[in-house]
Amino acid sequence: MIRSGPFRRNARCFAGALAAALLLATRLLCAAELFVEISDQDGGPVEDAVVSLTALDGRPALPDPPPSTTKSIDQRNEVFVPFLEIFRPGDRLVFQNNDSTRHHVYSFSEVKSFEFVLAKGESSTPILLDRPGVIAIGCNIHDSMIAYVFVSDAPWVGRSDRRGSVHFDKLPAGTYTIALWHPWQTPGEEGAAQHITIDAAVTSVRAAFSLSLLPDPRQPRDRERSIY
Amino acid sequence: MRPVLFALLLALPLAARAQDIQWHGFLDLRIVDAAAQRSWIAGGTGKLRYGGGGTQGRFGGAALIGTAQLTPALLAYADVQFRNDDGASLELIEAYLRYRPVSLTPWRWSLKAGAFFPPVSLENDAIGWTSPWTLTPSAINSWVGEELRSTGTEFLVERRGAHSSIEARLAAFVGNDPAGEILAARGWSLGDASYGFGGQVREPDVYALEEGVVPPLRYRPFVELDQRLGWYADLTWRSQRHGRYSVMYYDNRADPTERSTYDGHTTFAWRTKFWGLGAQRRLGPIEIIAQAMTGSTLFTPSPSYTGETRFHAGYVLAGWARGEWRPALRLDLFSLRQIPPSEVPLSEHGNAITAALSWRPRPWLRVTGEVVRMESWRRQRILENAVAGRTDTQVQLGARLLF
Repeated sequence: MIRSGPFRRNARCFAGALAAALLLATRLLCAAELFVEISDQDGGPVEDAVVSLTALDGRPALPDPPPSTTKSIDQRNEVFVPFLEIFRPGDRLVFQNNDSTRHHVYSFSEVKSFEFVLAKGESSTPILLDRPGVIAIGCNIHDSMIAYVFVSDAPWVGRSDRRGSVHFDKLPAGTYTIALWHPWQTPGEEGAAQHITIDAAVTSVRAAFSLSLLPDPRQPRDRERSIY
Repeated sequence: MRPVLFALLLALPLAARAQDIQWHGFLDLRIVDAAAQRSWIAGGTGKLRYGGGGTQGRFGGAALIGTAQLTPALLAYADVQFRNDDGASLELIEAYLRYRPVSLTPWRWSLKAGAFFPPVSLENDAIGWTSPWTLTPSAINSWVGEELRSTGTEFLVERRGAHSSIEARLAAFVGNDPAGEILAARGWSLGDASYGFGGQVREPDVYALEEGVVPPLRYRPFVELDQRLGWYADLTWRSQRHGRYSVMYYDNRADPTERSTYDGHTTFAWRTKFWGLGAQRRLGPIEIIAQAMTGSTLFTPSPSYTGETRFHAGYVLAGWARGEWRPALRLDLFSLRQIPPSEVPLSEHGNAITAALSWRPRPWLRVTGEVVRMESWRRQRILENAVAGRTDTQVQLGARLLF
């Protein structure tokens, strides 16, 4: 009897912890995959859209934040490769000039501004990306060169491929807010963020979105077009 | 022209160290079914580049464009072209230095010094100041290619936004005092023979005879006669959503009483000023370009006479902007009025429809078929024992090798 009080309390605590662990395990074990399909106003697939997922109610278990990393953006044939790259706050960005000509890479974005003159074969010093936001990048020598960096602190974030598709896996059950961004997204027509609920009973969910895009200002490199 | 050459000479040591020197250009060969009327280039009153009838192979021209990125902010550009329309001619079309430092704010400025086209054309943005849509540019840009070149300095400031930008240009220039003479003497034309330094523009033989000169009468369009600065200003708004819109004003501020004599001919200064409007918009795969120009040019060959020509022109072009095949259709309207009218008035009006189909099977090759049908009315032709009103058709099949 003397021990019954603490024992019962410990038992209740243990049971509570077990229940929480079981609930978490259930959520994790019931992790679903989400396919987000993005099309434009003409029904064509939208490449290079950024899809961000955030937990609406905070209940889904969040993934461990990935360790900080360094990614590079190349210059080849007077094109930035890739055109769009996703970073996390704390990541670093390096520009590599693998082109046959010199480039003057710069950005005057509020999130991060910088400039580098890179001769062929040179790389920039790493740039610490410490704030979330969008960074537009250009070349002061070749105006046609454009790239974008999206720094996201969302728990889940992905970029659409050529089929306009983004895949997330191991999503715990819960309700999420899905936000989309694309460099050519029509201002004022971004649309409201959408919510999606992943039920513990399902393993795969699809969500389709349509974006109204502005004309792509990029033109393929052409000997006939003026170069400056 | 001397300051331009001097500046380029100064740039030579930098060019020797420049990492980025590039050479580009084209060679243009054509089969042409010419319009019946003799072309103005050959001294006639025909308004198309090729006249006199018949079908034969022609040399369309060759261009060599050199660029040198002397420093990250300093660019040197030069464009030399060769034609043989009115005798073999090697001409410097443009040559300038552009200083454009990088800016880490939305504002960016640049300074251009040398000899360059005023920013009139929205259609001639291809290599060597040619049109990617047609072989023959619009009436407006044909004239710009023939008679307008600014030797001086252009200051540009731009404000760049996420999806739009606005640019303002202001330029001061010399060396373009005869600009406008060909409009008065010949009227509008459609042709892709751009003139440069070293070239001479030919006036219709009937005009020379009226002036008491034994033809051929030629003049250099890019000379300074009165030591007065001309100027132009341009405002352009570019929007990823709505397209590009521009308005410009040009005034060469030539003293119309000035003249110069060389090679036995007198070249007059023509006070030329005009407003230009331009719009460019993409509608799905279709590119729409439209320009309009209105202005006047006048000269005072004697204290008792001032001759003025008021000119107006515009065009709308629609082109398919995707894939290897690039069809384009353009409608030109033009007119000018001589004040006061001479015994045989030089006033005119007309229109032209240009249909072109370009094919780019390889990056180095462009094949273009083009038909230009022009209706024009100009009483000057009766001096050639021809009727004032004519309809002319010119058909071309051209191959342009790009490098």
